[in-house]
Amino acid sequence: MEPVESQTRNETVAAEFTSESVETPVPSMPRVERRRKPRAWETPPAPVPPPHLDDYRKIVGEPEIDELRFLARELRGKTVKMVNSTAVGGGVAEMLNQMVPLLNEVEVKTHWDVITGGNDFFEVTKAFHNALQGSEYRLTPQAQDIFLMNNEQNRQRIQFSEDFIVIHDPQPAPLVGARKESPQRWIWRCHIDLSNPNPEVWGFLRPQIDKYDAAIFSSQSFARQLPIPQYLFYPCIDPLSEKNKEIDENFVQQVCDEFGVDRSRPIVTQVSRFDRAKDPVGVIQAFKQARKYVDFQLVMAGGGATDDPEGAAVLREVREAAGDDRDIIILDLPPWCALEINALQRASTIIVQKSVKEGFGLTVTEALWKGKPTIAGAVGGIPNQIIHKLTGVLVHSVEGCAYQMRYLLTHPDFAKQLGENGRAHVKENFLMTTNVRRWLLLLRILSGTK
Amino acid sequence: MTTAAVTPIRPHTPVKAFYFNTSAHLLRITRQKAASMFEFLEALRECPDGSIFQHTFRTLQEHHFIREGFSNDFAQWALSACNEPGLAEALATVDVREFTAVGDLRARFIEIVEEFLTRNPAAVNRPARETFYFCASDIVVIPTNQVAHTLQEFAEGLRRVSVHSIQHHFIEARLRLKLMSNDFSQWLYEDLGLTEAARQLNRIDIYTVTLDDVKNQIIRIVERALV
Repeated sequence: MEPVESQTRNETVAAEFTSESVETPVPSMPRVERRRKPRAWETPPAPVPPPHLDDYRKIVGEPEIDELRFLARELRGKTVKMVNSTAVGGGVAEMLNQMVPLLNEVEVKTHWDVITGGNDFFEVTKAFHNALQGSEYRLTPQAQDIFLMNNEQNRQRIQFSEDFIVIHDPQPAPLVGARKESPQRWIWRCHIDLSNPNPEVWGFLRPQIDKYDAAIFSSQSFARQLPIPQYLFYPCIDPLSEKNKEIDENFVQQVCDEFGVDRSRPIVTQVSRFDRAKDPVGVIQAFKQARKYVDFQLVMAGGGATDDPEGAAVLREVREAAGDDRDIIILDLPPWCALEINALQRASTIIVQKSVKEGFGLTVTEALWKGKPTIAGAVGGIPNQIIHKLTGVLVHSVEGCAYQMRYLLTHPDFAKQLGENGRAHVKENFLMTTNVRRWLLLLRILSGTK
Repeated sequence: MTTAAVTPIRPHTPVKAFYFNTSAHLLRITRQKAASMFEFLEALRECPDGSIFQHTFRTLQEHHFIREGFSNDFAQWALSACNEPGLAEALATVDVREFTAVGDLRARFIEIVEEFLTRNPAAVNRPARETFYFCASDIVVIPTNQVAHTLQEFAEGLRRVSVHSIQHHFIEARLRLKLMSNDFSQWLYEDLGLTEAARQLNRIDIYTVTLDDVKNQIIRIVERALV
């Protein structure tokens, strides 16, 4: 097979996939010749430099960008420090990589610091993270000591002289102990779901949170009763990122050819790591029910099976559920295949995200942004994005998912309207520029320059 | 807006310029939430004015691209989480433009829910499929680059500003003005004497079209006044 050239990269395809056992063709359907062992990018691409604010003008419009600059005027010269627990990997670091340059561009001088700690610290914070999202955990005095001691070391190492200090997530939360008697404002940005926290760990953390001036959550349902104002910042996507930017139709075709996806027939896709919370087996069951009535292919594009034993087990279950069905295309992709994911989403007729447990569900945001009619589980932050039958459809079961697949595939006008509404919903509420706006607003409100 | 006769000022030469502003809103999560119709009614009574504003006026902008089936968050919740289409219809037909004070708007919603629960006592404590979380808006008003010294410039300003500015001047303005009108109509009427154009703007139906459509209708009316 020849190397594939993407729009922005020129890399050799080398690693081979092991998915698919494709032995049973359905004779009545014309189809492209499916490659038995699709291949993927072997190495991650070089990072793309973050965009400038003006790069978004074509997407969100001139007035929107002008409004951001007006909002920032009153904050000129103010300083912000963002603190989190990792510089690379994970959604928070990814968001800060985009957000910090944009805030600096509008002259809100923003600095980003990362806390340090030993393995014992990060083992404790990982356990806290899971416990705060509802897992069983026994909080020991030793874990408390490790948590507080490492935070104290970071407190002594990091300077906190800025006007606004933003602490991301629970790991560095006790840094608020460094707060001075000054107009300085401290903000806790909680990216995780606190709707059902382990009471011991939350009870331990809560006195620290009460010392902040404001807290930010990603969904109304994730918030707790606190004595400080709580704000709602939805997570967002960057429309200029590899995952979401406009791409050339030839590249979309190239990726489909590479992975054996037949564009002459409808394509339903779920993009998710192989995780039971995303119910990939349920999606396959829904596909099998729906296909009795309408012809289409199912693409299950995900990852996480290589370095996660549970992911590998789920992938095995998915393959087992798919059996030898040639119309189910399972792709275990490495995390740097953003452009390929983008292409698969754009090639799809419908996108599914049949999660049974979810944070916000940014794959739903990505699908809506691409104007795709989207079927998704009514869990976590998904109902914030999908207003049932207006910006997509919500489902609660395999049967419901199967029915909506059939319905949307046979009612293209309705599906098209959902897609258009979904894209407009994302443009208004879930883009990077909207988040810049939210940050500027919060800083103005907290500094009294409303 | 009153319709008393005034001596028209020379057309297209306003007494004062129109400064286009816009407003930005930050969502604050409040203490109120409702997992049943009873809790919903309690929360409607107790929530801050900012919550009523958010779930009616503001949500119109957040979902301004939807032409049908959506007018406020309360109606949407009654339909999707409580499966009460009759109540949803009653809540959805509350037109925010008939209210110049949030308190009156709140009273209307309370009245509708109370009437519904009186007729449907079984619905009082039935659990909703999803909890309704009351949020509130913190507002910052922002100037734009657009200023109109003439009707021509006004039309040009309308073309250039965002739908956020249209929402600010055309829909939310009545809470500031305490009048059944909007900033655009007020300016056209008071500063330009364009009574008919002002009246036509007030007749635009904001519920059956998108905010972009509303903006285009405003522009067309102003352009006709230019002729």
